[in-house]
Amino acid sequence: MSSSEPLIRWSWIGRNWPMIWDLLVDNAIMALLPALFGLILALPIGLACARWRFLYQPTFGVMNVVYSLPSLAVFIVLIPITGLAERATVIIPLTFYALAVLIPAVVDGLTSVPDHVRQAADAMGFRPLRRLIQVELPIAVPVVLAGLRVATVSSISLVSVGALIGRGGLGGLFITGWQLRFPTPIIVGIVLVVLLAVVADGLLVLAQRLLTPWARARSAG
Amino acid sequence: MNWLIEFFGDPARWSGPYGIPVRLAEHLEFSLLALALAALIAVPLGLLIGHTGRGAFAVVIAANAARALPTLGLLVLVMLLAGLGTLPVLVPLVALAVPPILVNTYEGIRGVDPDLRDAAYGMGLRSHQVLGRVQVPVALPLILLGLRLAAIQVVATATVAAYVGLGGLGRFIIDGLATKDFPSTIGGAVLVVLLALAVQLGFTLIQRLAVSRGVSRRVKGR
Amino acid sequence: MITFEAVTKRYPGGTVAVDRLSLEVPTGEITVFVGPSGCGKTTSLRMINRMIDPTEGRVLIDGRDVREIDPPTLRRGIGYVIQHGGLFPHRRIVDNIATVPYLLGWDKKKARGRARELMERVGLDGELADRYPFQLSGGQQQRVGVARALAADPPVLLMDEPFSAVDPVVRASLQDELLRLQAELRKTIVFVTHDIDEAIKLGDRVAVLRVGGHLAQHATPPELLAAPADDFVRAFLGRDRGIRLLSFLPARDLLLRRDLIVPEGGRAPEGADWVVVVDEERRPIGWRAAWNGHLTGFGTYRPEHDSLRAALDAALLSPCGAAIAVDDEGRAEGVVTRDVLDVALVRAAADAYSEGGHTGEEAAREAG
Repeated sequence: MSSSEPLIRWSWIGRNWPMIWDLLVDNAIMALLPALFGLILALPIGLACARWRFLYQPTFGVMNVVYSLPSLAVFIVLIPITGLAERATVIIPLTFYALAVLIPAVVDGLTSVPDHVRQAADAMGFRPLRRLIQVELPIAVPVVLAGLRVATVSSISLVSVGALIGRGGLGGLFITGWQLRFPTPIIVGIVLVVLLAVVADGLLVLAQRLLTPWARARSAG
Repeated sequence: MNWLIEFFGDPARWSGPYGIPVRLAEHLEFSLLALALAALIAVPLGLLIGHTGRGAFAVVIAANAARALPTLGLLVLVMLLAGLGTLPVLVPLVALAVPPILVNTYEGIRGVDPDLRDAAYGMGLRSHQVLGRVQVPVALPLILLGLRLAAIQVVATATVAAYVGLGGLGRFIIDGLATKDFPSTIGGAVLVVLLALAVQLGFTLIQRLAVSRGVSRRVKGR
Repeated sequence: MITFEAVTKRYPGGTVAVDRLSLEVPTGEITVFVGPSGCGKTTSLRMINRMIDPTEGRVLIDGRDVREIDPPTLRRGIGYVIQHGGLFPHRRIVDNIATVPYLLGWDKKKARGRARELMERVGLDGELADRYPFQLSGGQQQRVGVARALAADPPVLLMDEPFSAVDPVVRASLQDELLRLQAELRKTIVFVTHDIDEAIKLGDRVAVLRVGGHLAQHATPPELLAAPADDFVRAFLGRDRGIRLLSFLPARDLLLRRDLIVPEGGRAPEGADWVVVVDEERRPIGWRAAWNGHLTGFGTYRPEHDSLRAALDAALLSPCGAAIAVDDEGRAEGVVTRDVLDVALVRAAADAYSEGGHTGEEAAREAG
């Protein structure tokens, strides 16, 4: 690579912005959907594991195994089923990775509810479902949201690996940079991925602040 | 499925410089090297920060950075700037493996019951003895967890690194995609999955052996 | 002997945890630091083994300023027992106890042998030696903590609310064990608690501390009960001081009447309204009224071991205000009648007042 090549050629960015933007949006969608699906699935599963302790070990075991599989390999294995360069090929594994983080988060969040709070609710006449929605889940929110933050940020960066099978959101910029042997797209890609992650993380922190004003009050007092 | 049979059944795949055993060895070599280097950096650092309590911010930053940075992007960038060769590849491999080890080692030490620290100092153990004889054994499950997570990261990154020229099992996938050699692609993916599972099994065994039964509470209760 | 010389501990921000504490902890005795939360008792304790260093003043052990000794070395010569044990979860019980000997370089076999010896001493079943702490109950863990503190045979033992985290029944037995051990070993023990009854039960001397780290009174338990130094100490001691004072007076010298003890179907002596009926082994079955022959409940005390308080309690449990004295096997030795008990109680009160320096006026004020 010639030493006179600057790290960022701004003109390239200007010319290709529409493409970059499309990739950004695609990345965001392919990362946020798994996080969302993961959350939706993790809630009932986590609830079941928290309630029936014996389910926890096997579920956790399966999740651990899934989590340990390198994403590229899993994408490849799915291709015959879901097709090459399809969103689903990326979204499905990423959803599992999100589950691997979110199920423990839901379980931990629910078990972090002090026993005496649960019993007080029962004594006051709460039925199980209402107790869950009005007492246990709200208290579990901080832990679950912490897990959601991890899952979201991880998803955003993992999507880029999908570029190797033709669907990688901003990862496409890495391929472009490598093939054309110039660093600008790569740097742009990295910066945008990190930016996307920071924004998503920030929004979730904001959501947490809004959902749990009581947590803030306690730490201030 | 036929592709798998085709791939594993072909004897040519099992020999030669591009055969399965060679690629497997390459993959393991890089992974172990990267993991060892990362552990060498992160474990002492995690122990130090956890024991003294200073510099915790660095741990938080490291954790968040590692999660957000895209592995493919880092690999490609480093290789582009540093030129080809295997040493430059180690940089992102190690860099991405350090944070899980650092965070978990730190959390492990921090998580040790403060009463235990107090009793240890009260009995007359010196600082390094408290760390080595008390805190580390009790924190071992988390430290090993950090190493396990780092191993996952390393095996996965090494797979992707085949794109920028590294050897290893990822080559079957990458080369297969490039040449439309689907048996190679699928076969490579399956091999990677098997390797990942084997590594996990290895760590479970290490955990069993290394962690005191008093800490993991696996002895039959009273 | 441990000496506190005008020891003060001030924290940045202004909080004074200990304020010019001066006292002497005699060698071979149990001294209890007691007081409400925030009185500096634990802080003071921790200044002895340099877990905390004073802002002003000195702590001396046998005349030597503890600051002159490097902390780990100092601590290896002092036993330290804390509330939740602080046992190493990753080591077996025998190795936990042998921790300081290992530190001091003892041979492994010797250290383990000593550990097992100590297990017996503190009343732990030897088969627990190879277990892990999580497999033991709270009471057992605390005993291990004590054994561990004694392993290197230190002359000084520091105990910070060691029995507060166990239930009252276990606590009482642990306290009794400690007293038994101390009778054998005669260590210099500094014991911290917030429980005044524990302090009175265990302490040879008790130092009552006030919030803010001031010493309110430093005296023996009977002195404390008889003559509290001020309203704070009086309030902290709580009610029934007089009755509790009786626990410190022996019941050995009470005159016993043996004629009031009759076997079943036996005849009561002339003039006696009540007699104690005993079985063939001379164990009491009950009090029998002379006019109707019905048996009623009874209370007993042991003259050799028990205090006046126990005798009074036994008397209160009888229908006629007399206490039954029994030996170690529960066999009746005699009866202390009301008149004898009355005289003993009056004498005890008089002694307490004269010792404590109570004036007649104060006594009248308290009574009225």
